[in-house]
Amino acid sequence: MSRAGKLIVIEGPDHVGRTLHTRLLSARLKAHGIATHTIGLARSDLMGILVKSRTADIHQLNWRTRSLLYATDLHDQIKHEAEPLLDAGFVVIADRYTITPRIREEVRGGDGNWIDSLYSEVPSPDAVIILHAGPRRLLNRIMFGERLEALNHFEAGMDLALSPSITSSFLQYQKTMRQAFQTAGVKAGATLIPTRLTVEQVHDKIWESVHSVVSDMIQPIGEA
Amino acid sequence: MAKKGILIAVEGMDGSGKSTQAKLLYHWLRAKGLPVYHTEWNSSKIVKEATKMGKSARRLLPITFHLIHAADFADRWARQIEPVLEIDGIVICDRYKYTALARDGSRTVPAEVIEATYAFAREPDLTLYFDVPVDVSFDRIAKGRPKLKYYEAGMDMGWTTDPFESYRIFQGKVSDIYSGLVEQGRMVSLDALGTVAEVQSRVREAFQKNIDLSKVQTIDQTDRLAQNLSESDIDWLTYAGGGEGK
Repeated sequence: MSRAGKLIVIEGPDHVGRTLHTRLLSARLKAHGIATHTIGLARSDLMGILVKSRTADIHQLNWRTRSLLYATDLHDQIKHEAEPLLDAGFVVIADRYTITPRIREEVRGGDGNWIDSLYSEVPSPDAVIILHAGPRRLLNRIMFGERLEALNHFEAGMDLALSPSITSSFLQYQKTMRQAFQTAGVKAGATLIPTRLTVEQVHDKIWESVHSVVSDMIQPIGEA
Repeated sequence: MAKKGILIAVEGMDGSGKSTQAKLLYHWLRAKGLPVYHTEWNSSKIVKEATKMGKSARRLLPITFHLIHAADFADRWARQIEPVLEIDGIVICDRYKYTALARDGSRTVPAEVIEATYAFAREPDLTLYFDVPVDVSFDRIAKGRPKLKYYEAGMDMGWTTDPFESYRIFQGKVSDIYSGLVEQGRMVSLDALGTVAEVQSRVREAFQKNIDLSKVQTIDQTDRLAQNLSESDIDWLTYAGGGEGK
């Protein structure tokens, strides 16, 4: 079934700039007359509050239970927001979609194929972008952004007992995650973009890979 | 095993200006693009609650006062200090174990006990002692303050019933212990009298003299800029990037 709108997925680890670039892409599309809507993990009306307020408890759940909760969350957003808006001709940007929920459980020993099966009915993306960066670069951003204290154990892979130090653990965990993102990205036909570039350069690369998808929707901003 | 990272501590009496200077040092190193972290005494979120309760109920005795502050430090050591040192970053501690030696020592906890409790906290690469005459720091704290807090004034020790007199006695003891640590060469004394700018230039001088930054990896400019950018910084009308689609 062809839809009037388009689904663009931006994936990548925390602190890679996903949310910033989602916002920039959304702002630019709107400037070109395209209505946008953003979905993402743990943002549904059904599950968002639970997931955000009980993060530590959810991190301690068995991977199957956790996968099901995240699948519930994403499907709630798909049914109530993404599908109706895609039908209406919106560009829906997913600030993370089905890759993160799979690979972060896979690196913890979860069954990736089973997790994929939970998402067999979701709309396929028109473009997938994976932002990546070296683990130390991510850590430097966390430090410079004065957010080291907010770094949680799960996102540093502390539950995998890689190292008693949260920073060392983070470096090892994110190295594994980066490889997993790249493998998943190739499989999904994604555009892989390194974020060691400037914000503008990264945005330009995202725009290039999205442009062909939205080209017939774009309206000019000013007289060229 | 080689020491990892760079650990800086500032110590001194209440009112010596060390916190102002420690923050300026932090902002300077941050502006240089270095991975730097700043942490303050008695600021662990979890432990602080217990400390606050113990203080307001006046329940803390010298040994529990000592242990609960060590718990606060241990929490910050594990969450903030050690992880940053581990990746060869710079940590600035506003007060370090020498504060425990001075304050808990003034409360008659034996120095060996304090040293043993804090055995996990290595000697910093540089500890600056902000030296001001006791009268000066006393005036800075006591003037314009209607009253001093119970433990801050050392009232728990029962030296005297007058809080300001008690505080003076307490600060005298603290100052003596600090002086001993300076004499032992565990802290570098820094003249902390003068304007903020004057003292900061002395701080930077002492820092540059004692600390080798050559092994500290700078954070890339692109990563620093990304932290400060929001969509409002881009004017899409004049934006030239991304090829087509204008």
